[in-house]
Amino acid sequence: MTSIPRSVSALRLPPVLAGYLTALSRGLLALLLPLGLLLLWQLIAEQQWISPQLLPPPTQVLDSLLELYSSGELASNLGISLARVLWGFAAGSAAGLLLGVAMGLSPRVEAYLLPTFKAISLVPVIGWVPLFILFVGIEESLKVLVIAKAVMVPVAINAMKGIRNVPVGFFEVARLYRFSLWRTVRKVVLPAALPSLANGLRLGLSNAWMALVAVELLASSEGIGYLMVYGRQLFQLDLVMATMVVIGVVGLVLDQGLQLLERHLLTWRNSAY
Amino acid sequence: MISLTRRLFLAGLALAVVAPSFAADLPKVIRLGSPLVGTGNRPVGAGNSFANAQIKGLLEQEFQKDGIKIEWNNFRGAGPALNEAVANGLLDVFWEGDLPAIIGKSGGLKTKLLLANGRSSNLYLAVPPDSPVKSLDDLKGKKVAVFKGTAVQLAAGKVYAKHGLSERDFKSINMDTATGNAALTTKDVDAVWSSSNILSLEDRGVARVVYSTRKDPQAQSLNMQGYVFTTEEFEKKYPEVVQRIVNVLVKEAAWASDDKNRNALFQLWAKSGTPFSAFKRDAEGISQKEVQSPLLDEYFVALVRNSVTEAQKLKLLRGNLDVQGWFEPKYLNNALKSQGLDNYWKPLDAKGNAKL
Repeated sequence: MTSIPRSVSALRLPPVLAGYLTALSRGLLALLLPLGLLLLWQLIAEQQWISPQLLPPPTQVLDSLLELYSSGELASNLGISLARVLWGFAAGSAAGLLLGVAMGLSPRVEAYLLPTFKAISLVPVIGWVPLFILFVGIEESLKVLVIAKAVMVPVAINAMKGIRNVPVGFFEVARLYRFSLWRTVRKVVLPAALPSLANGLRLGLSNAWMALVAVELLASSEGIGYLMVYGRQLFQLDLVMATMVVIGVVGLVLDQGLQLLERHLLTWRNSAY
Repeated sequence: MISLTRRLFLAGLALAVVAPSFAADLPKVIRLGSPLVGTGNRPVGAGNSFANAQIKGLLEQEFQKDGIKIEWNNFRGAGPALNEAVANGLLDVFWEGDLPAIIGKSGGLKTKLLLANGRSSNLYLAVPPDSPVKSLDDLKGKKVAVFKGTAVQLAAGKVYAKHGLSERDFKSINMDTATGNAALTTKDVDAVWSSSNILSLEDRGVARVVYSTRKDPQAQSLNMQGYVFTTEEFEKKYPEVVQRIVNVLVKEAAWASDDKNRNALFQLWAKSGTPFSAFKRDAEGISQKEVQSPLLDEYFVALVRNSVTEAQKLKLLRGNLDVQGWFEPKYLNNALKSQGLDNYWKPLDAKGNAKL
């Protein structure tokens, strides 16, 4: 039992370096599965178990990815998609926060809104598209609306739960200090509910990205989801797979980026407790 | 006892070896594909002899005595969806418009082009009836629905190029035929590119045609063409079946080419849901004998080549395509000879003039 820690300590790595090493090995472990899948994919393509028109080899997908990049098509379509996500996310998280905070603070508001809100949230984003098309047509406002709806639900629910879980004692202290409602929210509720809020925002952002791709597949003339439809229509499955790679990577970057930001912003909290 | 079981076993083995070669002469089922659906998604096409064969049940009649099942597949997703089915090995004989056919072939589908199936389908651009749009230029920056990956997209691209425009000058939205027509009536799009079926919307007063290749002097090189294919695999296995299918289609093309059958032809196509009047207007002043000619003459080859170069220019096609190696005219020639139709359709040279 003791021999293992001894051998590690024998290396006498400075703790920072050891930390990097574990992070590195974890990163390598995370890469094992994709690498394995990549090898399997290459094998399937080489052996032609699936017709190459339907499953192009990874090298061809890489080629079309590079071509997308060098022609500037990737940047322009990705830019359009990210702008849509930004607007939808801003609108959706604002609405979600407002709704969640209101329902969290007031049991009466909750009693009025929560059942309806839950019913609405249970209809998947795609289910709203036909109705939204009738209301706002098929242009930008449709995309923003669909994304906003996808963002609003997790943000509101997490905000509500976060506030609900603020210890009652905090409110008592606030009342003792005769805090106004606004001050209570700003100084007590929001800081205490922050981790849950951040969680909701992160979920909202990944929802936003997925909703965007779904709505761009349906009715669009530009954007990353559209690129995918276009590839399929022109029988260029390598283009379809290249856009899948881009969608996956961008989604990961968004999620990890927000997680980093969250960790950075919440450091004060760790020292405070 | 032992020798008997052994003999039975050997007999069974011999049968198992021989049986597939018997089966190879005739398939159990012929899987046919068409990129057209009618109104309300009904499996009915229009405009060519392949569609006629489906409506009239001609291939069912032809293969009934052999007990061969005829299976029709009409794709709402049109050519792009049909190509995917071919790549999956789900179709034996099918027809497609020029662009998806070219894209499929250059993408590696192993197909043989057997005969022409409609040489010149008119293209229309329609807007809502109260739209102020009068020409292509008025539509710049507006939402235009086009069914991407189909012959309509290539023909629209050719028209744009002719007017010094490109798809990028518009918000080109991918919509299938039914969705595009619906979006025009609800004014969700400012215009839609379509084939003759749009004329039924014009009849009902919910669309107005602002441009058509019909009146264009270069109509033939702008218009859409259709080709009939079989897969290389099916052709190798069942050449006689392919011959019989081509015979049926050529005979039907001759019927459709005859001007005295004109009304009957349009009535037949009206089963797709697009009314008789639309087909009549679309074909006004156009000889069906020219449009329905199944010939793979120099002119037709030139049309295919033109579609390939245009598709390359528009970046709809990657790489090149060996057009000549794609044709398999022997079935067509046999059919023409056996039905005494050698001189019925006049072969044209590459420029479209009658050959002497």
